[in-house]
Amino acid sequence: MNVQVVYCNHQSAKLDVRERLAFSSPDQLARAYQELRSTFPQSELVVVSTCNRVEVYTAQESPQDAPTHRQIAEFFSQFHHVPVDDFVDDLLQAHGPEAVRHLFRVASSLDSMVLGEPQIVSQVKDAYRLAQENEACGWLTNTLFQGAIRVSARVRSETKLAEGRVSIASVAVGDFARSIFDRFDDKRVLIIGAGEMAEETIRYLKEEGVSEIVVSNRSVERAQRLALEWGGVVKPFDQLDQWLAEADVIVSTTGADRPIVDVARFAKVRRASGTKPVFILDLGAPRDFDPAINTAFDNVFLYDIDDLEATCEQNRKARVKEIDRANLIIEEETNRFLHDVYHRATGPVIKRLREEWHDIRQQEVSRLFAKLSNLTDKDRQEIEKSIERIINKLLHPPLEALRDEAQQGTPHGLIDAMRRLFGLGEKSN
Amino acid sequence: MSFLTHVNLFCFFASFAVAFGLEWTRLVKLNTLNRAIILVFGCAGFVAQTAYLLNRSGQTNLPPLLSSNHDWLLVLAWLCILIYLFVSCIDRNLPIGLFILPVVLVLIASAWFVSAAPNPRVAFDPSEVKNVVRNWAMLHATLLVFGNGGMLVAFVLSMMYLVQHRRLKHKQPGHEGLAFPNLERLARWNRWSVIISVPLLTLGMATGVGLALYTRDNGPTLNLSDPVILVDGVVWLLMVGLFAWLVKTERPPARQIAWLTLWSCAFVIVTMIGLQVLAGGVHPAFESWRS
Repeated sequence: MNVQVVYCNHQSAKLDVRERLAFSSPDQLARAYQELRSTFPQSELVVVSTCNRVEVYTAQESPQDAPTHRQIAEFFSQFHHVPVDDFVDDLLQAHGPEAVRHLFRVASSLDSMVLGEPQIVSQVKDAYRLAQENEACGWLTNTLFQGAIRVSARVRSETKLAEGRVSIASVAVGDFARSIFDRFDDKRVLIIGAGEMAEETIRYLKEEGVSEIVVSNRSVERAQRLALEWGGVVKPFDQLDQWLAEADVIVSTTGADRPIVDVARFAKVRRASGTKPVFILDLGAPRDFDPAINTAFDNVFLYDIDDLEATCEQNRKARVKEIDRANLIIEEETNRFLHDVYHRATGPVIKRLREEWHDIRQQEVSRLFAKLSNLTDKDRQEIEKSIERIINKLLHPPLEALRDEAQQGTPHGLIDAMRRLFGLGEKSN
Repeated sequence: MSFLTHVNLFCFFASFAVAFGLEWTRLVKLNTLNRAIILVFGCAGFVAQTAYLLNRSGQTNLPPLLSSNHDWLLVLAWLCILIYLFVSCIDRNLPIGLFILPVVLVLIASAWFVSAAPNPRVAFDPSEVKNVVRNWAMLHATLLVFGNGGMLVAFVLSMMYLVQHRRLKHKQPGHEGLAFPNLERLARWNRWSVIISVPLLTLGMATGVGLALYTRDNGPTLNLSDPVILVDGVVWLLMVGLFAWLVKTERPPARQIAWLTLWSCAFVIVTMIGLQVLAGGVHPAFESWRS
């Protein structure tokens, strides 16, 4: 089997290299397929391009048609107008079983920056779909990518690799805010500051159904940008106390060098807000809310980065524990895939050889029975069985050799030799 | 199925005790196997308890709710088990068994000490009043059993609320086998349990008083200064107070509701069971004071 992959990922190449080699749109990818197909006409092709990896999978009938590492590097260079020397050392390569294993690991999110993250399998599916749309796939890549999607599903269902949230914002919303509130579409969210983590948290809150977002920041421009992006409204920073009292969920990410809300200030806020439950996510470093607020007020749930990081770390460790089980599944599926592929490669030769020899047996038996007309039916059956056994015994060593060789890869040399030795004619299949 | 006629109290008590013990295994690992075993024991106990109640009903020729205080307590436990099995089937992660099974075990254990003799007021049989008394007694017992059942549910919900509240205050991540509903939902369910239970208890009390007045001239007299009735009245007043506060307060603090409900329900359970046991004749001194 001739499958290989030339790739760079977050482990082998820095972000600026990956950015320069990535295919950012389906149109760009369509042009890439056009060029790849004209350069490597004998190859089936699939390109997987995400923010963390750029990978070109190729598969072909004959090993001499396989593109080399250098050829793929030159393709990248010409397509993206990047000097080869800028990235060639970052490009890795894998062949045969290693390439299959690599794709299965990628699709199962074992090779991801965030172990077990669910997006990668969708990205692999999209990459495969685009390759099909660009008519770059064939039997081998179809089998390979369908196998990868199946393996990913197996790993997800048979291990806990994708269980538990591992980012601060997702843990805050998914594990804690959802344990407090039944619904979010009637909740008011106050964002203090306009940092990146606030945005990520808003994204998760939006997924939960939040519709009312109030942004308050010292820099009005940044607050307006955030509010515009997420459909919120901007309120002056000097009205903070009023909005602290109105909010059900408070996300704070200011760059203040000391807490902006202490117990005394929050006590005034609570007098206005009543006893309703409030979830406060303090993403500031240093913290924006005095930690004593959590114990001072009964229905106030205050979490800072350290509180949530402990849960993230616990979930990460739980995922790491699943790696061995996931690898076992991948190994099993890789072997099954290789077996299927090799069986397909050697199957026609074996079938042809059997048919040829059995035809000869039939001819010779018929000739013999015509000459020996005094044989009883029992004699005829015994003779037929003996000849059948002789043929099977003679066929056994070459077929076993073929099967053994097939365990290591498609035995092209042996298949050709058998065709010539036993007169099996031109290439079948 | 003749073996079901030989079921005794211990059979289903043991089944529920095993199910309760197995419920703790969810803290180690919750999988299909231990869940299935828990449900098998729960269902086995439920079938045995149903058979026991039907047998008892056949022996006394009265519905289980009316036949005796012993049977009434068992019907209450039976209702709790029904809720437990239903919730366990629809939500595998909710650890309801850890909270409701101890209540069930206490109810069954209490039934052991409570008189199993047929209720004299219902068993009393001047033919023209028999049906009227029975119907009123049935209504009275049904309202009380559902009212108390609702209070037990509120008790369980309050405990869940407080456990969940504590976890969130202490910033502990959720446990796979201990997935509680969110605080908002628990508070809402708790509030509604109390709001539904208290009118049922009130109607149960009212029908009880009506029944006492009716049977005063037609059967064994009912003493309104009976400590059982007096304490039941106090408990009822307490629950009505909680009910009024819940309805009146626009946004009552959920944790306060949970604590109040927990204490009120605990008081209801203790007094209800305590009085039933005492009135069941275990303590002759109490019986002589009653009479």
